[in-house]
Amino acid sequence: MNSPSAQFVTSRRIGVYDPIHQIGMWGENFKSNSNLNASASLIVEDVKLDSQSQDASHGTEGPSNQYDQEATKPTDKVQRRLAQNREAARKSRLRKKAYVQQLETSRLKLIQLEQELERARQQGLYIGGGLDAGHLGFSGTVNSGITTFEMEYGHWMEEQNRQICDLRNALNAHITDIELRMLVESGMNHYFELFRMKATATKADVFYMMSGMWKTSAERFFLWIGGVRPSQLLKVLGPQLNPMTKQQSLDVLNLEHSCQQAEDALSQGMERLQQTLADTVAAGQLSEGSCNRQMTNAMEKLEALRTFVGQADHVRKETLQQMLHILTIRQAARGLLALGEYFQRLRALSSLWATRPREPA
Amino acid sequence: MQQAIPYKSWPLPLHTNTGHTQQSFTLLNDTNQSLVSPKAVLKPTEDMLSMVSESAVIVFARRGCCMGHVVRRLLLGLGVNPALYEVDEKDEGAVIKELELIRNGKDGKVQFPAVFIGGSLFGGLDRVMATHISGDLIPILKDAGALWL
Repeated sequence: MNSPSAQFVTSRRIGVYDPIHQIGMWGENFKSNSNLNASASLIVEDVKLDSQSQDASHGTEGPSNQYDQEATKPTDKVQRRLAQNREAARKSRLRKKAYVQQLETSRLKLIQLEQELERARQQGLYIGGGLDAGHLGFSGTVNSGITTFEMEYGHWMEEQNRQICDLRNALNAHITDIELRMLVESGMNHYFELFRMKATATKADVFYMMSGMWKTSAERFFLWIGGVRPSQLLKVLGPQLNPMTKQQSLDVLNLEHSCQQAEDALSQGMERLQQTLADTVAAGQLSEGSCNRQMTNAMEKLEALRTFVGQADHVRKETLQQMLHILTIRQAARGLLALGEYFQRLRALSSLWATRPREPA
Repeated sequence: MQQAIPYKSWPLPLHTNTGHTQQSFTLLNDTNQSLVSPKAVLKPTEDMLSMVSESAVIVFARRGCCMGHVVRRLLLGLGVNPALYEVDEKDEGAVIKELELIRNGKDGKVQFPAVFIGGSLFGGLDRVMATHISGDLIPILKDAGALWL
């Protein structure tokens, strides 16, 4: 283990009061040396004194200086410097103390979290499904409904990836239509399961759902009322379904059009809700501070938000079912595969983006 | 400047510009204000019944309700001009009871927003959305005479 003086020398060579370096020294000493305070404060004081005169290093005054008349002024200066130095060292010690305490608390918290995570892993739970590193649920209070949803979503995603693989293999292997139908129905039911999960989670926290917090960042870019925009999906996936009959192409186009109309109606309703909420919150004189009534009214308006998420999911579900009516089983299988792969790519994009090399600040 | 349109004296059909139909009368003037106050209409049940049976499409919704707005925007987007009856909170119970009386064959509770097509209760937003996505809404509207062409 490095001796404090050796580390100190490094810092001295740098010639600056380098806090990161200081912290490193404090940290290592803390682990193996109970005399941390003593040795660290020496280091601090020594670095501080790097530019000071040598004889002022331990804060002691030389009595011999007082006898010399010419040396009175230098003595004053020296004494003043000593005093300032003591003060600076004291402040530095206090700051260091506060910082170390902060580190201690964070360290304890981290140990706690790691333990929880380990416990959860051992119980076979999957934490952090589609969440990027950036999402950390800063809501303060733990929302068990949302925690449950995130956990279930993790499972859902694993199952989804399995089903996509199965579909891909099945289509390449040219299995019978009957077997393909089973896969397609599983796929559809799997999506319906997600809508059910979302409905429950919306009761727990509608804002979480509206912000698409369980999704990766690239998916969230396309967010519309707590999920994907059906018409947009149809535009993307339509070409993947060819060859289709003329009637099928027309039906898909009509479906896309109907989705667009439904989406527009819902979007306009949302704008109306936003306006109403804004008016409710701003009711009365804003300069007078908030009163209970505005908050109560506003809370009532927020209830309507849950209905919007429900209706949007309803449109998504109906669109899926309508596609199943329009397409043959084989086309539906290809459609589900394309849908699954599209989202896999979006998620991969999110990861790539999150880990891209950052530009130097 | 739009004139106030008195109800029951609306000649049908009014215009048939391509794509823009004005077949059903509306209780709202251009600035979306209710011309007939709920109180005036509520007293005789017959008026509500005749309102429902005379409109190709009529929407009953809570005042200021966003879902009612959604239904209306959807229908407007299809080229239908639905009559809109806005219900105040205090009248809700009474209106629901009357609507249940004149529901004309559909089972289940009446909830706002409630849509009547061709004189009978069609359903709520759920049913309207589902029927629209499946492509069945426009034929139904045409049958009821709410849409031309």
